[in-house]
Amino acid sequence: MSEQWFERDPLWFKRAVFYEVHIRGFFDGNDDGSGDFRGLVEKLDYLQWLGVDCIWLLPMYPSPLRDGGYDIADFFGIHPDYGTVDDFKEFVEQAHQRGIRVIADLVMNHTSSDHPWFQESRTDPTGPRGDWYVWSDTDQRYTDARVIFVDTEASNWTLDPVRGQYYFHRFFSHQPDLNYENPEVQEAMLGVLRFWLDLGIDGFRLDAVPYLFEEEGTNCENLPPTHAYLKLVRAEVDARYPDRVLLAEANQWPADVVQYFGDGDECHMAFHFPVMPRMFMAARREDAIPIYEILAQTPDIPANCQWGLFLRNHDELTLEMVTDEERDYMYAEYAKDPRMKLNLGIRRRLAPLLDGGRDEVELLHAILFSLPGSPVLYYGDEIGMGDNVYLGDRDGVRTPMQWTGDRNAGFSRADWAQLYLQPLMDPVYGYQAVNVEAQLRSPASFLRWLHRFIALRKEHPVFGLGTYEPSRGDNPKIFAHIRRWEEDIVLCVHNVARSAQAVQLDLSQFEGMVPEEMFGRTSFPAIGELPYLLTLAPRGFFWFRLRQPT
Amino acid sequence: MSDDSHRLIEHVTQQRWYGAKSRDVSHAEIVDSIALRTTEPAYSVALVEMRYDTGAHDIYQVLHPENETAGIARELVSAIRSGLTLQGEEGIAEFRPLAGFAGLGRELKDVRDVGAEQSNSSVVFDEELILKVFRRLEPGINPELEMLRFLTEHDFANIAALGGWYSYAGGPLAATLGILQEYVRGGLDGWELALDELADDPYRFLDRLHRLGGVTGEMHRILASDTTDPAFCPETPSVEALGLLTATVDEEIARVFLSLPEADESVAPIAGRGEEVRDQLRMLTHTGAAGQFIRIHGDYHLGQTMWSANDWVILDFEGEPARPLAERRRKRSVLRDVAGMLRSFSYAASACSILRGVDPPEAWEDEARSRFLDGYFDTVDPSLLPADQPAIDRLLAVFELEKAVYELRYELDNRPAWVGIPVRGIQRLIEEATAA
Repeated sequence: MSEQWFERDPLWFKRAVFYEVHIRGFFDGNDDGSGDFRGLVEKLDYLQWLGVDCIWLLPMYPSPLRDGGYDIADFFGIHPDYGTVDDFKEFVEQAHQRGIRVIADLVMNHTSSDHPWFQESRTDPTGPRGDWYVWSDTDQRYTDARVIFVDTEASNWTLDPVRGQYYFHRFFSHQPDLNYENPEVQEAMLGVLRFWLDLGIDGFRLDAVPYLFEEEGTNCENLPPTHAYLKLVRAEVDARYPDRVLLAEANQWPADVVQYFGDGDECHMAFHFPVMPRMFMAARREDAIPIYEILAQTPDIPANCQWGLFLRNHDELTLEMVTDEERDYMYAEYAKDPRMKLNLGIRRRLAPLLDGGRDEVELLHAILFSLPGSPVLYYGDEIGMGDNVYLGDRDGVRTPMQWTGDRNAGFSRADWAQLYLQPLMDPVYGYQAVNVEAQLRSPASFLRWLHRFIALRKEHPVFGLGTYEPSRGDNPKIFAHIRRWEEDIVLCVHNVARSAQAVQLDLSQFEGMVPEEMFGRTSFPAIGELPYLLTLAPRGFFWFRLRQPT
Repeated sequence: MSDDSHRLIEHVTQQRWYGAKSRDVSHAEIVDSIALRTTEPAYSVALVEMRYDTGAHDIYQVLHPENETAGIARELVSAIRSGLTLQGEEGIAEFRPLAGFAGLGRELKDVRDVGAEQSNSSVVFDEELILKVFRRLEPGINPELEMLRFLTEHDFANIAALGGWYSYAGGPLAATLGILQEYVRGGLDGWELALDELADDPYRFLDRLHRLGGVTGEMHRILASDTTDPAFCPETPSVEALGLLTATVDEEIARVFLSLPEADESVAPIAGRGEEVRDQLRMLTHTGAAGQFIRIHGDYHLGQTMWSANDWVILDFEGEPARPLAERRRKRSVLRDVAGMLRSFSYAASACSILRGVDPPEAWEDEARSRFLDGYFDTVDPSLLPADQPAIDRLLAVFELEKAVYELRYELDNRPAWVGIPVRGIQRLIEEATAA
């Protein structure tokens, strides 16, 4: 019944602000030390206040949790730590009542090795599920497929002692790839999608979609049958479930990622991975060129599609989509302690990555919010939470949400020792210094700033719907561009340098118009024939609406 | 556009209860229809979807034929009495009486159309019963029905008791269609009574306000009394509830002060004092625990009361009509209702000067506040309030400030002559701080 809470709008996701939630880490509603759906319901008022349009849930399914739940052992259930399917339904209903939509992670490429399908497949090779995974007598097939988790996996093949054959896995060896050549597997996964859509969910973030099909002699990524299958999924969603969204996670170069939009008949959204490290690089090198360049390399996308943009998420800050040289630079600048590295990335949260600099955090949010796409925020980053590099894998960026300065950071009423992870306690980012309650009460806090900033972006549909034109001036430390939608023209100018800068922008096409600063509604001098001169504070930015003179 | 759609648009947009007069309708369609009576004259209830150019839509309840309201209203009441369930194409309509409602047995003779307002229309039978038909439908149970039913079933005497209702559930939506309740005969509107008595005999009204406080406290006590009903069970507010309130009010203050007209004499007492107001807010919101949150009236002021048979009747539990239904059903602090009523006294005092040309005595508003609050604290359940009187006073002041800031914005946009009222309210809150 989600329809009745919303006005019909097939393009809602283009104007939406997304918020990524780690259920385990958000709020504990039943005092057992682990976040759950009941807890999440209690915090919906907060998310509504913040201005979140859509919550993205990390995997919520039963799982042995050897990969943060991306190892699914049952596609039709809820992990008992998080509650029940009924709790999930209640959560979706409560979110919808507040005008918030919900999408959830879904892993289509593989299952956990604990999944009954895999257990059947390995014990009964000729049985009904014998062919549901990718089995082989040799580990020398698909050798051109790269190993993704280079820190833990030596090969994409593992020998199963039970079946006496190798099985293929693009990720961990406990995550066997499903065999999409088998039409039964294709149909079974459509059944999974229908199950959750029927419960009212508004869409999926499709994890690791480039890897569904394999083919000898290729790198086994982005293959034509993978796209054909995703188009089939989309057709099914369009036919039966209006206003839902499919968000592809394809950590690839933009030219490859755009294929996931098809002709507007595949995924509605896809993450833009490569732009993210370049925002950090720009801030560190004090050079806007990397951002201009990656956007110049980004092809146009169909009008009914949208990029998902983010600064940080639950994974490491991934450096797969940069050159080797750029990666060395990023490691040197952002991962001084080797513990901060993971696979091809850096496992840190936003605030510590930027040395806690308020100006830097605001600047990167301004750039993020100004780019063509929908921003995706990561829980805790709205208060500038820190990380704990001494925790294993990606747990360091998945610590409990810091609600108050009280016991357990207000996250849980369980015993301290019972918590799934202890909240941060260090003097800079610990919960006594950084928490929601204190920041709500302080008008100058980052949380309050971000709340106003989200509201500003949402007041102006041009940010979600408009075109992008770079406006390179004479100063490479300035990232400036123009967004246009119908009558709205917005000029965004950002200084990525640590020092004050001046820039002259060629705005002659807007001669006679008046730039009005969007936060304070202050009018600036009208644009004339000559280049337009602006001066910006260190890490400062201006957003202007260009209006006709009155 | 088809002829049918065209005729339907014309029909609906001409009705007095039609609310979206400024929106361009692109399409209209009957999404379901319930036959009330199949023999001549045939009556039916239709759900009409109006689609706008923007892609949005509303669903309206249309009675057919619309010019035979009296006949249809009788039919609706008789369906409620009989507890009928009627089938449409896409869903069902349920008509239900409230057990033990005495007014239901009678034969209905005289039927009087009492007009339409804010997307409802009403019909009065024999000056005994009133049927309120919700025209623009919102998904979910209507708070007016939910609150009246709860208060009637828990024997709260100071309302017009609920007699029954009818509702729809099906493909297009699930919603309350209408309610039947006791008609308050010869009641005096609380706001009008306040103005009349303020002009003639200002002290007579103060006694009534002590009683109104008592009735309000009793209403809150009853609303908090049933822990078995999840829609009404009192809740402990989340730890950040006060923080969210502070942030919301603070930003509203900042916004309204940003757009304060500079040359306007009526805002002079608070002009340039935005930061003071915000500081005051920050001090006030350090109240510790806020008490239990419950369902409240939600839009409480003198205009929602009636004086009848020597006592107060509380009316209109729909909540603030501009807010979404789910928000109106949210549990909140009871002090929000109290603050609404206190602000209403301030309005009454000024309105008496503006509308009647009579200035009430200087101390009248202070006296009105204290009489009302005395009555209130006598009857309210203390677990609904912050722990001690200073904390209660502070939280109450926060809600008064929130209300006054909202009023200031409203009056600046709509009624410049009334701007002085919220300005005085805000001034009072800053100056109390300086005095304290």
